[in-house]
Amino acid sequence: MSAAPVTLTLDQVKAALGDLGTVEQVRSNRIKVHSTIPKVREAILRAQSLLACDHVVQIAAADNGKTLELLYHLTGAHRMVVVLAIEIPRDKPEVPTASDLLPPAGIYERQIHDLLGITFRGHPALKRIILNEDWPEGEYPLRKDWKPDPTHFYGGVREEAK
Amino acid sequence: MAEVIVPVGPQHPALKEPVNFKVVADGETIVRLELDVSYNHRGIEKAAESRDFVRVVPLLERVCGICSHSHTTVFTKGIEEAMKLTIPPRAQYIRTIVAELERMHSHLLWLGVAAHEVGFNTLFMWTWRDREAVQDMLEEMTGNRVNYGTNEVGGVRRDLTPEQIQAALKRLPKLEERLAKYAEMVNAEETMLLRFKGVGHLTKEQALQLGAVGPTARASGVDYDIRRDDPYIAYADIPWKVITDTHGDVYGRTLVRVGELQQSLEMIRYCLQNLPAGPIRTAPPRAAPRAEILTRYEAPRGELVHFIRTNNTDKVERLDIRTPTLANWTSVAVSLVNQNLADIPVIVAAIDPCLSCTSRITVVNPKGRHVGEMTWDELSEHGREFYRRRGRR
Repeated sequence: MSAAPVTLTLDQVKAALGDLGTVEQVRSNRIKVHSTIPKVREAILRAQSLLACDHVVQIAAADNGKTLELLYHLTGAHRMVVVLAIEIPRDKPEVPTASDLLPPAGIYERQIHDLLGITFRGHPALKRIILNEDWPEGEYPLRKDWKPDPTHFYGGVREEAK
Repeated sequence: MAEVIVPVGPQHPALKEPVNFKVVADGETIVRLELDVSYNHRGIEKAAESRDFVRVVPLLERVCGICSHSHTTVFTKGIEEAMKLTIPPRAQYIRTIVAELERMHSHLLWLGVAAHEVGFNTLFMWTWRDREAVQDMLEEMTGNRVNYGTNEVGGVRRDLTPEQIQAALKRLPKLEERLAKYAEMVNAEETMLLRFKGVGHLTKEQALQLGAVGPTARASGVDYDIRRDDPYIAYADIPWKVITDTHGDVYGRTLVRVGELQQSLEMIRYCLQNLPAGPIRTAPPRAAPRAEILTRYEAPRGELVHFIRTNNTDKVERLDIRTPTLANWTSVAVSLVNQNLADIPVIVAAIDPCLSCTSRITVVNPKGRHVGEMTWDELSEHGREFYRRRGRR
């Protein structure tokens, strides 16, 4: 079966989101928008209303050393994946939640909070979902600078109980 | 009296992977569902950062026992995109054959589980017997029934001999006959109609809003299939069509999966008959240049996504995996509200949860009068008994 045509153009994305960040086409069906934390909710809202992005593919999270990074991958019937990328300072890893705009984001944000320690302001229940309940507070295993501390307990059976 | 939440250990070594549901129910009607899926986190994303591209593929094959080929294909095609490799068509066709066989065994397994959850064990036995034929084909072609070890960066590891192709083609007519039988049964069999129709309903708007993927979304009329929308391996070259349905309930999801089984069989036949000649791999460089790739794949349960960052070395800088089941949980939590407690097994089973099926369920009465726990088996039995008492609608 031949591929579905991609019907969203770079110019349309520039017109809708150009004032919220720099827009570049990174692949025939990927357009990346480098935005900032205060503008990301507005960018998601506009992607939904102006660009017909009705599906959140993934919220990818990465630690690139100096900063943490979130990449909201959105798509719709036009088959173009619009990527909204934001950088987050390590010393204040806080972003507004997108779970009210994109319901599936609720579960993804809980996962990111667990593994990379990014706090989503306004999330209704930012509880643990991936890590075990006795995992030490304030340790985020997917951060590049995380190393297990031999004096800490990470789950399983406690030594003294053996 | 305040709502009571009972912590229930989710480990249940017998059958299924661990997940814990807290079901808040008012009598027989479900009010709310909370879930905890964390019990089996193995840190594969972290482990992937410390293995080179040769050693990381077998690791990713073990993300999931059922979608093992899905995870390696989506990863290798992402790395190949970063390395700007052109993969020989014969390798892409072999990947497609294994991918569609995997979809067939997964959907047949699902059909059997769904039949079992509603107490129709004859169908469960039939589908699992037919699934054996698919498993045998996989074993003959790849050497393995579960983790096929087919993919590597640059192509596939095993070629198909003419004898293997003939043996596989010979098995198809019988399977085709069985699939036609299932397609007929879904529309005629009283037990399936009674327990599937109108159960776990999700409108198109809900499916879109809640981010459902795969057969769950397509059964609600969302025309979304990565094999067509972001084509990979051989899907753009071979004839097939996307199956959708508008019922939006478990019945619709069954129709979609049975339709997809028939499509997969046709694709496998086409690929076997039209397998291009030539090499099955191309030698990849050791390292991948700096790149950021979002690679997507239509796994049996829906859209599977790997977000990959490479950094001029032979290892990934970051691998972020989003499985279809994670995307589908939100829709399950919503489609269960106002349904009967008796319908939980079949609704949860209808998304074909991969990271886990549940081991135990806590039933909490909102007024706090009765707090108890049920095992999955007890709940399944409750479901069958509930409908037996209630009789035909």
